[in-house]
Amino acid sequence: MNKVSDFLTVRNLTLQYKTGAYRVTAVNEVSFSCDSGERLILLGPSGCGKSTILKAIGGFILPHSGEIMLNGKQLTKPAPDRAVVFQEFDQLLPWKTALGNVIFAIRNTRAISRKAAEEEAAAHLQRVGLGALGHRYPHELSGGQKQRVAIARCLALRAEVILMDEPFASLDALTRQQMQEKLLGLWSEARFTLVFVTHSIDEALILGSRIVTLSPHPGRVIEEIKVRHCDDLARRHPEYAALKGRIESILFKDQLEYVI
Amino acid sequence: MVFKDKTKLSVWERISDINWLRKLAIVVTLAALWQIYAIWLNNALMFPTFTATVNALISAFGNGELLERVLNSLKMLLIAYAIGAVLAITLTILSISTRIGNDILEVLTATLNPLAPVALLPLALLWFGLGAPSIVFVLVHAVLWALTLNIHNGFAGVSQTLRMVGRNYGLKGLRFVFLILIPAALPSILTGLKVSWAFGWRTLIAAELVFGVSSNSGGIGWFIFEKKNQLDIDFVFAGLLTVIIIGILVENVLFKTLEKRTVLKWGMKQ
Repeated sequence: MNKVSDFLTVRNLTLQYKTGAYRVTAVNEVSFSCDSGERLILLGPSGCGKSTILKAIGGFILPHSGEIMLNGKQLTKPAPDRAVVFQEFDQLLPWKTALGNVIFAIRNTRAISRKAAEEEAAAHLQRVGLGALGHRYPHELSGGQKQRVAIARCLALRAEVILMDEPFASLDALTRQQMQEKLLGLWSEARFTLVFVTHSIDEALILGSRIVTLSPHPGRVIEEIKVRHCDDLARRHPEYAALKGRIESILFKDQLEYVI
Repeated sequence: MVFKDKTKLSVWERISDINWLRKLAIVVTLAALWQIYAIWLNNALMFPTFTATVNALISAFGNGELLERVLNSLKMLLIAYAIGAVLAITLTILSISTRIGNDILEVLTATLNPLAPVALLPLALLWFGLGAPSIVFVLVHAVLWALTLNIHNGFAGVSQTLRMVGRNYGLKGLRFVFLILIPAALPSILTGLKVSWAFGWRTLIAAELVFGVSSNSGGIGWFIFEKKNQLDIDFVFAGLLTVIIIGILVENVLFKTLEKRTVLKWGMKQ
């Protein structure tokens, strides 16, 4: 099932952290790969290290062993070629407007005139449906709007890979569904490579083209699942229920009481 | 019939909701009490009336004497404030990059912050002699530690998420500090500036009272001391009033405006 790909490869990745007097292995010997233009989902319960893996791909955490390669180059530090959308709403710079946040991202990652950056930033806000709210400061935006700005900012970085760490987990159910549809819409326009972390099986099935399921303590890959359909009608697809049942059985195999 | 979901407040209710008006009323009452007590006491050498103080204030400003003293004091404080701010930022930046630097800074602020600046006056006299350098030395000490402590705390409080966003853009070193850490820590930095200004202003007046003699034209502390020696007690009161007014102007007008235009506008402080 593990297809060899030379776009984004995670090989034998082990991640550890220190807590008190202990060194804890959060992720153990994890390997997977991701093709260009794929929507890869890291799915698992809390404690499976999915966010930690994402942060390692982002370059924020150094691997204890193993390697992460992008386009054949080993990743060792953060860079704008891997744009990150976080779960936390405070990821926007509060001292800059929505537009200012996108401009800041553009101007600090490539040489471009102020005017050109402004026009480009406005276009990206337009794409996420916030064209009219560019002048607002983050604290004047709702949670969903903030996450949209964060996504616009990522698109503006022209990254090779967009990394999303449960970006919709703090939103209400209705907004979450809208955001998932919006994200799929944006993907079909731009076909970016997406690595998306979630603990929701539904979200994984709606957004993913491939799902990597992980088990907790320490994080390990259980199985990779290919999702064929891709549209916002995913929920009504006949395969949906069958796939959901299969993933549940994989994730719950050993832990009957695990609540996801 | 239409249900009225809005009823107008009475004029009195609306007037009593105006914050500054209520405070003005308190100030007027205090001034009136002052006036009544001073007239009843009838001893201008101990306790001049409010009107006598205001007259002294007007005449002292009118002939330019008090204004010159005020400007002298402010100049001294601004010099020390600028030196203190540059030192505080430099110290904090040097400290954040390493754990040991962090420890050193924490120990330094913890030990030197409680040391009352005026207690350094004798040493300052010994090292720098009578005059402006001694006062500036003591003032820098007054400003530096409160400011450093607040900038340091502010940096430490910047969320991991914001830090990662900055690193995601490839920001490093000084660019990271100036583009991410400083604006993100601005609420703390402003608090530090406010606290250290207040601290410095109080220290300055005290230091000038002790040895403002030195400089050929002393500051406002020296003005108060001098007028007391000449038994111009209404001018002493006028000097004290000036200290209060400048304090209020800086702390409640200047810093409030600064906060309104930055951290309050950005929702970084309620």
